[in-house]
Amino acid sequence: MSMEVSSGGLAPPGAAEAPRAVPSRAGTLSHPANWRRAASHVASVVAPVALPLLLLGLVASAWEAMAVALHSPLVPHLPEIGKELARIFRGGHFFGEMAVTLLRVGAGFTIAFAVAVAAGIAMGRQKTVAHFLEPAIIVGLTVPGLVWALLCVIWFGIGLTGAAVAVALSIAPALLLNILQGVRAVDAELLEVAAMLRLPLRKRLACLWLPSLMPALLGGARLGLSLAWKVVVLVELFGLSSGIGYQLNSEFGAQNVAGVIAWTLGFAAVMGVLEYGVLAQLEHHLMRWRRTAQV
Amino acid sequence: MSSDIVIEGLGKAYAPRGGRRPAVIFDGLDMRVEAGQLVALVGPSGCGKSTLLNLIAGLDAPDAGAIRFDGRARDSRLAMVFQQPRLVDWLTAEENIALAFEREGSRPRGDAREMVRALLRKVGLVDHAGAYPQFLSGGQRQRVAIARAFAVDPDILLLDEPFSALDELTARRLRLLLQSLWGEADGPRPTGVLVTHNMLEAALLADRIFVLNGHPGRFAAVMDIDLPHPRDPEDPALFAIHRQVLHALGEA
Repeated sequence: MSMEVSSGGLAPPGAAEAPRAVPSRAGTLSHPANWRRAASHVASVVAPVALPLLLLGLVASAWEAMAVALHSPLVPHLPEIGKELARIFRGGHFFGEMAVTLLRVGAGFTIAFAVAVAAGIAMGRQKTVAHFLEPAIIVGLTVPGLVWALLCVIWFGIGLTGAAVAVALSIAPALLLNILQGVRAVDAELLEVAAMLRLPLRKRLACLWLPSLMPALLGGARLGLSLAWKVVVLVELFGLSSGIGYQLNSEFGAQNVAGVIAWTLGFAAVMGVLEYGVLAQLEHHLMRWRRTAQV
Repeated sequence: MSSDIVIEGLGKAYAPRGGRRPAVIFDGLDMRVEAGQLVALVGPSGCGKSTLLNLIAGLDAPDAGAIRFDGRARDSRLAMVFQQPRLVDWLTAEENIALAFEREGSRPRGDAREMVRALLRKVGLVDHAGAYPQFLSGGQRQRVAIARAFAVDPDILLLDEPFSALDELTARRLRLLLQSLWGEADGPRPTGVLVTHNMLEAALLADRIFVLNGHPGRFAAVMDIDLPHPRDPEDPALFAIHRQVLHALGEA
């Protein structure tokens, strides 16, 4: 309806009356307002898929143009990369390595997330805890992931523990900072309502704290996952004989640029599925109570 | 079962901020509200009306004196309606009201779902049971907040300028809704304290009006309103009370 009203408002006087004079045509596609509405409907369905694909297509074309222009083994042609992709996906090779890496990321992420939620709520509620832990966050944020990767390989040797601890140590400070800000943003007025209703702790956590923290938790999860991937690859590269990082390193050793790119692309695709398929859907579902602005 | 509210020798001051002297809000205030009465606290803004209500609600602690609920039974159930609806945004209207049944140590009083439905019917929102607060109008949200307060089945009901953020027409409807909910309460009526700066609202709803004024706050006048309930907002007698309150505040 709003489309019709606004188009009537912009059109010269008289033009707006014309469609109204022929009501039988109002339901057909030939009606300009309906046509525009249908077009905008199609656009709203197609755009979320088409636009990211357009970007990918543009980047791929630019890459191919560069490969043709430079004519160098350092910039492989798209078909070569495609061949490498086919090779690593054959026989489930890629998914086996990906599963190993995801397990390491998942273990580290789970530890960091649990610690960050507990510490974040404690810091947000108690000033003394905040003063006590603040230096740890600041130091933690400044230590490069590379250092944690090296130290954990030395301390824990090769295995799941080292990788998980390195990932946890690298992402916990950023996660904690995010969650702490979320805790401080929890509506004091709602906490008063909870006190007025004498809600038990369990209910207060489930109905007030967790949903209030949800944006911070989701934002933290995104940030944490992106940091975790950067660290786990380093651990795998230094001390492990499996996983995406190890495979990247062995392709690098074989001076196979197309191989490095293929592994990276495969990994990025999995991350994309995680982001769009899992996190975005989860966020959409959890945030359904939120009214979005129509302007 | 409703409770008397007894306030004796109440003292409250706020620590100075930005180099000012500490603000003394109350110094030895006494007040008594009879069980089942609805009293109104009126006065100019900044005189401590809302502070007094927060002290009664236990959301703030007094520096001196005592606030007691001399109920004839068990510890008092307390509900509050705030100026803003203060609904939980991620729960539907229905779930917001049902939250009142989750009170610590309370036993379920019959079918919670049916009770929520009955309350929604009373506040005229039965069609919006599943709506999230951000999709409701300001008046509808405040209706949900009122229903939540009554869902507590309160002994004491505190109302902190509940209609002042609404447009006049909506506020008028909600005042009448509150009046009818108060009248229809099954069992004994709750003891109510209504903070308002609208003297006509006080005259319409209250059995007694406490006029608060000055620093530290003192009662400039206490008036009993003997008109029978329910009252008509156009009753000329209310305007006469309005003038009396203004007079007590030294404004007329």
